Amino acid sequence: MATAAAAGISLSSPIRTVPVAKAELLGRKPVRIGQMLPLQRMAATAGRGRVVVVKGTQSSTPPDISEKVEESIKKAEEACAGDAVSGECAAAWDEVEELSAAASHAREALKANSDPLENYCKDNPEADECRTYDN
Amino acid sequence: MASCTIHTAPYSCSISRPAAKAFSLGFHQRHQQLIFFGSGRRSAVVCSAEKTVVIGLAADSGCGKSTFMRRLTSVFGGAAEPPRGGNPDSNTLISDTTTVICLDDYHSLDRTGRKEKGVTALDPRANDFDLMYEQVKAIKDGVAVEKPIYNHVTGLLDPPELIKPPKILVIEGLHPMYDSRVRDLLDFSIYLDISNEVKFAWKIQRDMAERGHSLESIKASIEARKPDFDAYIDPQKQYADAVIEVLPTQLIPDDDEGKVLRVRLIMKEGVKRFAPIYLFDEGSTISWIPCGRKLTCSYPGIKFFYGPETYFSNEVSVVEMDGKFDRLDELIYVESHLSNLSTKFYGEVTQQMLKHSDFPGSNNGTGLFQTIVGLKIRDLYEQIVAERAAASAAAAKV
Repeated sequence: MATAAAAGISLSSPIRTVPVAKAELLGRKPVRIGQMLPLQRMAATAGRGRVVVVKGTQSSTPPDISEKVEESIKKAEEACAGDAVSGECAAAWDEVEELSAAASHAREALKANSDPLENYCKDNPEADECRTYDN
Repeated sequence: MASCTIHTAPYSCSISRPAAKAFSLGFHQRHQQLIFFGSGRRSAVVCSAEKTVVIGLAADSGCGKSTFMRRLTSVFGGAAEPPRGGNPDSNTLISDTTTVICLDDYHSLDRTGRKEKGVTALDPRANDFDLMYEQVKAIKDGVAVEKPIYNHVTGLLDPPELIKPPKILVIEGLHPMYDSRVRDLLDFSIYLDISNEVKFAWKIQRDMAERGHSLESIKASIEARKPDFDAYIDPQKQYADAVIEVLPTQLIPDDDEGKVLRVRLIMKEGVKRFAPIYLFDEGSTISWIPCGRKLTCSYPGIKFFYGPETYFSNEVSVVEMDGKFDRLDELIYVESHLSNLSTKFYGEVTQQMLKHSDFPGSNNGTGLFQTIVGLKIRDLYEQIVAERAAASAAAAKV
């Protein structure tokens, strides 16, 4: 890497341009990885038979964990309606926190495995498709 | 990895039996495998000439999958993965040299139990410190243990998994330094101290997309846990060898997004095998803004501070960074001015940060200081290995 290029490299958002040929193979137009819509990711991973629930947000939690979080919030609000400083109230909100953390881990795990290009580039950063540019 | 060679003191093998005192037998020959069945836990004797190095990390953010852990294991080389073929909800991470265990696995009460008793997971009553001490001590002595698994999804305690003694064991969770016996087993301890404003901002980012959550529920959740957190978790920071304190930035007035952060690395003085990093002149007080003629930074810029301080009546050195990195050359510039980094080559910190540029905190002090602490731990580990090699060479001569 030339030092001139190295000096200008951005740390925050690597831009990858997917060569057109490969992109067409994957059935999508060349777009920035980070801005790919969930629908496009789903198309890309459809062949693997993974079911990705898309809720219209960028990152989606598996539905069962999502339900658990919702339930626990309702329960916590009920528990605290009576006595806001009781142990039960604290325990209930602690459960909400625990489940929210589990939900966020599940989201990350889903994100980490859902993009075949990212997975390929993790192992082969020097491949043509994985070169990063900063302009 | 464990091997037995003929040694005199101080190397010995011990058998870990649940609820029994460990005793030294002084095996000098090859491996002996003894399996005891008792109270549902099995332990094996492994003859190991090397004691595992144990690092403690106190953090509130869940277990084993945190960014700090991933950076730390990456410094040692190799990626840390959950154990193959075991419980998919295991919290443990294993790489070539490092095993990270989650202290939530030592909950004595599962989620239902805690709800009945009205205690949070932060409360010491919900954790089995005796088992924690017993098992960490066993691993440190080179004995594999069957460690329980706490399943964060179901909230139940799952059947145990086997943990073999690694070269480096990291115990991560809410109470690594709470129990004094466990504290004494730690070769190095770190406390990740996130201030309330930053915690709130991060939790909003994490949870707002979640159906069911609202600003009020997030706030209520933090408030409800605060009393237990302040009573049981926060006091551990006085015992830590290094504290990474994350505060809101002072460079942007009224910033509430938590994107630009002020991060302080508080390093205890006089800790064995740990030389605090410093800026320019050790022991003096320095205020440094690297942006200027040689380096151009974008808004809001970067500000550094270094100086000696007192922290909970301990002598400490503090290096503080406020702002964020936008470009590679800013990072390398900063790295070239810090001293005592324990890097193996010029630019190692920058290289590690680049390797994980997708991790949160890669463009501010959290990533920088976590990486540096990782290098310091590597240095500590290598010092221990060198000391043992010297000791065994001396013993062999005798």
